[in-house]
This record gives sequence, C-alpha cells and structure tokens, in this order.
Amino acid sequence: MSNYSELVKNFERIRAYMREFYVYGFKSREDYDKKSARSYDDERRRMESWLGDHMRFVRTAEGKNVFISIDSRAVGHNPFFKAWKTKSFTDGDVTLHFILFDILHEPSVRRTVAELVQEIDERYLAGFEGPMMFDESTVRKKLKEYCEAGILEAERDGRKMYYRRAESPDLLALDEVLHYFSEAAPCGVIGSYILDKQEKSSDVFTFKHHYMTGAIDSGVLAALFRAMREMRVVTATNVSRRRETPQRHRLIPLRVLISVQSGRQHLIAYLPEYNHFQSYRVDYLSDVTLEEVTPRFEELRAELDRMQKYMWGVGITRNGWREPNLEHVDFTVKVEDYEDYIVRRLEREKRIGRVERLDEHTYRFSADVYDSSELIPWVRTFICRIVEMHWSNREIERRFKRDLAQMYRMYGIDEEVER
Amino acid sequence: MIFSELYSAYYNTVAAIIARILDGEHSERELQSIVTERAFGESALTILPSLKSEKWQLVHADMTTALTHRPTMPLTTLQKQWLKAISLDPRIKLFGVSLTGLDGVDPLFTPEDYYVYDQYSDGDPFEDEEYIRQFRVILTAIKRHSQIKFEMVNRKGNTMFVRCRPVRLEYSEKDDKFRVVTAGWRSVATVNLAKIQRCTHYLGEKILVGEERETQYDTATLRVVDERNALERVMLHFAHFEKQAERLDENTYLLQIKYAHDDEPELVIRVLSFGPMVEVLESASLRRAVCDKLIAQRKRALR
Repeated sequence: MSNYSELVKNFERIRAYMREFYVYGFKSREDYDKKSARSYDDERRRMESWLGDHMRFVRTAEGKNVFISIDSRAVGHNPFFKAWKTKSFTDGDVTLHFILFDILHEPSVRRTVAELVQEIDERYLAGFEGPMMFDESTVRKKLKEYCEAGILEAERDGRKMYYRRAESPDLLALDEVLHYFSEAAPCGVIGSYILDKQEKSSDVFTFKHHYMTGAIDSGVLAALFRAMREMRVVTATNVSRRRETPQRHRLIPLRVLISVQSGRQHLIAYLPEYNHFQSYRVDYLSDVTLEEVTPRFEELRAELDRMQKYMWGVGITRNGWREPNLEHVDFTVKVEDYEDYIVRRLEREKRIGRVERLDEHTYRFSADVYDSSELIPWVRTFICRIVEMHWSNREIERRFKRDLAQMYRMYGIDEEVER
Repeated sequence: MIFSELYSAYYNTVAAIIARILDGEHSERELQSIVTERAFGESALTILPSLKSEKWQLVHADMTTALTHRPTMPLTTLQKQWLKAISLDPRIKLFGVSLTGLDGVDPLFTPEDYYVYDQYSDGDPFEDEEYIRQFRVILTAIKRHSQIKFEMVNRKGNTMFVRCRPVRLEYSEKDDKFRVVTAGWRSVATVNLAKIQRCTHYLGEKILVGEERETQYDTATLRVVDERNALERVMLHFAHFEKQAERLDENTYLLQIKYAHDDEPELVIRVLSFGPMVEVLESASLRRAVCDKLIAQRKRALR
C-alpha cells in the first residue's frame, strides 16, 4: 500500500471498476480476487475517497459487498465527474504549472524559453532550501504541451520564439448555463471542468431520469465526436459479451445514439473492410485512435439518415448496400372514455411509425423496422389494453405471447381471474 | 486530452490555496478547510503537506509564496469546443447569454453527431418566446429566493391563481421537460413549466411560510432472472435510483430500489417492460398494480 495515491494515471481501469460498483454492485471482494486483490483494494479505496457517502457496504453470505448508490434526483451535480479530476502528476508538473502562469499572468506578457528558465530559477525557486532545477528542454516540453492544449500560444518574432497565455472567453453569468449543460449535454464533464473555475456554484437545477453512468464514457465519446468532426476512420477496442477477448476494430464513426430510458449509448459505425454497418455499445469501447480522413463520411451518414427511419432503437441488420428485410409491426389498444392520456402516450412515445384511430375507443400503432424485437419492451408497457397484434416476424410475436403467459403464471393471474 | 491534470481537483485546490495566501491568509487550519471543501476524502494527507514540505515548490514552510497573481488558467481548446457545441443547442436560448470569444472554434460535436432516440416527442417549447420569458422569471426568483405568481389550468379545467416560491428547476431528459419545484404552495409541490401562464415576479408584501415538500419514498424489491441479458439491462435501466443488489443463485438476483411514491404508476410500466424477467416481490401496492394490469390484459382476448 506504500505507493498508494488517490490519483490515477490511467482512467481505463477505474472506468471498469466504477461501472461494476455502480451498475451491478453485488460482487464481493472474492469475485474480484481472481484478477488482483491489491488492485481491488486500491480502486475501492480511491472511490471511497472520491465519492464519500455515495459508497455503501453490505455483508452477505458471499462476503462484504461494496457498491455505489446514488439517487440522481437528489444530487444536482454528477458525482462521477470527480473521477475525471484525479489525474496524477509529478512534483515538477504542478510547480512548473503555477509558476508559468504566474509569469504569463496576462496575454500581453510574453517570454522566450531562456527568459522563463531564468525567471523560474531566480524569482521563484531560489528561496527554497533544495530548489528544483528546470532545464530548457523540460520547460520547452511543457510549453509545447500547453500550446497543444490551447492555453498558451507561441509566436515567432525574428529568430526568437515567444510564449504568451491564450485569450479566454468571458465566462461571467454562465454558472447556470454550465450547470445545466454539464448534466444535460454530451461530454458534460468538460462543462464541469469550467464550472470548477467559477467563483460560486449553481444549485438551481436537479435532474430526473438522469443516467449518470455515461459520464465515465466521456473520454471515448469525445474521441468519437472528434473523429466525426474530422471525418476520420478510427480503430477502437471493443469488448463484446459474445467474445472472451477484446477485439480491435477499424471503423468509421457516423453518429452516437443516446438512450434516455435505458442508460445506454451506442455508436453507429461503418466497417469499411466488411462493407457493413454496425452498432457498438460506447461503454464497451476503449482506446479510440484517430486514423486517416475518409472521403466516404458524408455519403455514409446520408445512408444512416435514411436507415434511421426504420430503426426503433439501435438495431441495424444491414450488410453492405443490399435492400434490407424490413419487419412489419402493428398492435391495437383499447382506450376507455377517460383515458386520453393513453393516446397521447402512443403519440409522444412512438419514435417512428404511425398511430391510427380505428374507432372511438381503439387505436393502432404500426411501423416497418429492421429489428422488431426492439419494440417488445415498449409494447409491454401497454399491457392491460392490447387487443390485437400482428408481427411479420412470427417468432417475435409468439415470444411476446409466451412471455405474457409466463407473467400470468408468475403472478398467479389465471387463478385470480377464475376466482 | 479529456483526462488531464489541468482539470484536476488537486490543481484547482492548489490554485484556491495560493489565492487565499495572496489574500493574506496563512493559517494552516483555514487552508486545510479549502482542501476539505474542494478535493477528496484523503487529499488532506497530500496537498498541504506537499506544499509545506516544499515538495511542490510554490509555498514556503511559513505559508508565504513567491507567486504574485491569483492563479488563473485560460480555457483549453477542448473546453472552448464544448462551449461552442452547446452554443448550437436550441436550449441555450433559455438563458439569454451570448457565448463570446468562440469565433473560429470548431464545436466538439454538433446536433448531427448524436441522436436521442427514445426521448418523448412532446417536450417543452424551448424556443417559444413566452416560455423563455417565464423560464427566466423563475430562474431569477430561485436565485433571489423570491416569490412568483402565475396562472394555470388544473385537471378539471379551472384556472388557478398561484403564488409560491420556486425552489429549483427539475429537468427530465426522458420527458424533455422542466418542472418547477415550489415551496409555500399548499395544493401542489411541483408543476410543469409549460403549463404555467402569465408568470411574473410577485412584488407584494405577503410572506410565504413553508419549505419544499418532502418526497415520500417507497422501496421496491424486484426478482431479476438473468435471461436474454436481462440482468445488465435491468441494472442499467434502474441505475439512477438509490439501489442495492444481491445475487440469490447462478442466474437470479434481488434488486431493491428506492423510489418516490408519486412515481409508482411510472415504475409499474417500467417493470412491465421487462416481461417475465422481472417480478415485483414488494411493495404490496406495487405488486398489486402490476397484477391489476395483467388481470385486465388476461381478460382481453389478444389476437
């Protein structure tokens, strides 16, 4: 434990643990022991340090379970953002950072590397008993890193290269904007980074039906967005539940499909080597590397636009450019006199397809989709009023009815009805 | 790089400590309180000791510093790109602010790059001028802790005249709607913002007593059978609740979730959506509600 630090170098491992602790939360230490007990102890301790009261413990027959439990309605700010603020650094990094920005305290101040090195030594470090030494190459490397991050700018003047701090937008009166969008927009953790620099924090918003787990996938998401903006091919590692080992895939990211009802985010991508469209769970992707620009991006995205008219969720059974086999779905519900809200539900919850009024009390939803099994959970929410259904994929329809019969048995409904 | 020390809680805490030292504060206890407030549970063991021991050569042992300016850092390109991206979101109009200084910045993403496919289609009219005006009145009143008055039509079709103190705005991503959580209004605790009409600041002298109404919670106990990847789907679906899970055997799990009593009708249909993979064991009222739906369905001759 002597080398333990609450900061981490690599986010990927913590990402996996956070998901296990938050989404599942029933595994005991012994379940993790198979990999590494030491690693489990360290990651658990880190999360306790970051998340405090959101960490819970329970003792079961299988051992002590540690899990994360959060009522998203009760917390105005996503606690998982904290995990993104734990990057480790060296003593030199932090010292150099604050001294550099103290010297370059406003955009009009500029210095060469040599001037900076001298000023750091003489003005800032000379007063310490064992002063750190920063040579030109170390300072130059840091300046280059900061120029790439966009917080410093380099400008050539004659034969000399000068560095100055970059101009920054005025952020006055943005507290509420940052608070709202850091929770409600993709990659919200970046908004939270900006919010951290504000004098006062905003607590005017809370969020219902708020899936906070997406926050831990922000790194992958940001890389995918960058690839789309630059129309690039990427290679990414995918962990599939169907395969034991992670696979590297070469793909063209086309759009991220976000669910606000299941907590899942998917990437729809095109695999050039296989001439194939595919959806990937964003939380199963890692190590996204941007590759070459592709001239096919716009053509492929236009094709995706066309395909989305037949996608209820993320299911695309599309190989190449062949015309797909669409599956027809329709079901009819009975609505009583005082149940206008059911008609409104049909209208607002349908994502594609149409709703027809058959008579005063009967309404029919119909659609043609790539994957009709994706509609099943939604159709089940109308249980108690479904009077008719026609699925061209007969197996899916039979499964729906079998499941319904199983639910009757599970809750003893047949007996109740016969009584 | 989204994972960078530039955004770390440690850097932010060190910046706050240096700012306080420059303001003339040298008491270790005071500076330690900044660490408690801004960093993590165990940060107290690292941050101030690293500064005091001159491991991080920014502060001397006597808590003075050679730095002369309150530490600030310009926005990174990534932060500017995210701001640019949200400037393209129609909901930005609600706030009446202009995001300046972003000319020539490429957005991190555009509305074309993502799609929320299961959001309800009757969301709030975020670009409607009257809706925006009322949103701002409410936002201002929340920040000032002041009262508002408005009209709304209740379920019976009668117009109600309401005076209350808005406490916060609750946004639902699924509904794509804001609700105003109120205090001092006896009959209703929350109201959909889109249902509010003629909302203005209340400038009278009448005082309102009462705080935000306390939410009544119930606990649901669900038995989850892990077939067709149900376990993962259920756990993710209910992830936003306070919850606790337990493994019963190889493919059966027990899940307890704490939910607001008022949300029970919604919870019933969410449970139903999982079919036979999820059975409600408790509460009795939740199980009864599921049974009633199934009985009603059983009586229909489904073709």
